[in-house]
Amino acid sequence: MDPFKGQGGIQMLLIAEQEAQHIVSNAKDEAEREATEYRSHIEEEYQKSISENTGSSGSNVKRLEEETNAKIKNLKKSTSKVSSEVVDMLLKYVTNIKT
Amino acid sequence: MNDADVSKQIQQMVRFIRQEAEEKANEISVSAEEEFNIEKLQLVEADKKKIRQEYERKERQVEIRKKIEYSMQLNASRIKVLQAQDDVISSMKEAASKELLNVSHHHHLNLLSHHHHEYRNLLKDLIVQCLLRLKEPSVLLRCRKDDLHLVEHELDSAAQEYAEKANVDPPEIIVDNQVYLPPGPTHHNSHDLYCSGGVVLASRDGKIVCENTLDARLDVVFRKKLPEIRRQLFG
Repeated sequence: MDPFKGQGGIQMLLIAEQEAQHIVSNAKDEAEREATEYRSHIEEEYQKSISENTGSSGSNVKRLEEETNAKIKNLKKSTSKVSSEVVDMLLKYVTNIKT
Repeated sequence: MNDADVSKQIQQMVRFIRQEAEEKANEISVSAEEEFNIEKLQLVEADKKKIRQEYERKERQVEIRKKIEYSMQLNASRIKVLQAQDDVISSMKEAASKELLNVSHHHHLNLLSHHHHEYRNLLKDLIVQCLLRLKEPSVLLRCRKDDLHLVEHELDSAAQEYAEKANVDPPEIIVDNQVYLPPGPTHHNSHDLYCSGGVVLASRDGKIVCENTLDARLDVVFRKKLPEIRRQLFG
């Protein structure tokens, strides 16, 4: 009877142990790969939201500009009605001398 | 027990040991797979957490930057409106300044006109007001060259009116015939010094000066009435 024939089981166990170690050590590489994928996905989402925000902030600026110009237009329109009163009031005070 | 039985028993034992080994190897493999999954999950979750935190921070920064930019734009917009208000007020003063010229201008056209008398009376009142402020027995007077004859015409009555009001002797008023106040503005000299009318009186030593030109009065009135003007214009 071959004395080494019984070694097969031990060999099998050794191989199983080595494979187990190899599998566990692969976990880090696998995790890194998944994390990299996740990062690129998040980055894509982030860039998308930034470009959307840029568009909306651009329209906000435009809206603000339009509102400001409208305010100034109304301001000039409303003040032109009372401007002569103001000028008259100033002239009255300049030419009315209290002695 | 013969050899065949012994051999059979040994074979059985070998099979049993091999089966045990296979089961153990299988267990090791399953356990390794489990450990792999747990380890990987922990590493992935830790990395994902870090990545999420990093991007949350980035997004917060973007939000803050957006708020700052909007705040700056809002501020710029408010400044623009305030500037427009200031421009409106300045234009009012400018309009009043132009109107002042009409107060003193008409007397050149017709010496007997209503405006001529109005401006003459105004000059007299301005002189009296200055005298009341200075309360000096002797004063120097400066006016525009154009107004010299009007001023000289009103000097006595102004001195007399002051004397009555202040209960003093009429003062000596010396008109400066060397240095005159600048003339009214024209298109050619719009950036030069100008005077729309009125007078400047000073004590003999020049230490006390009463500036009663129409322009100086407009400046004073404008400053004093600015809050009222703002209310009237912008509510």
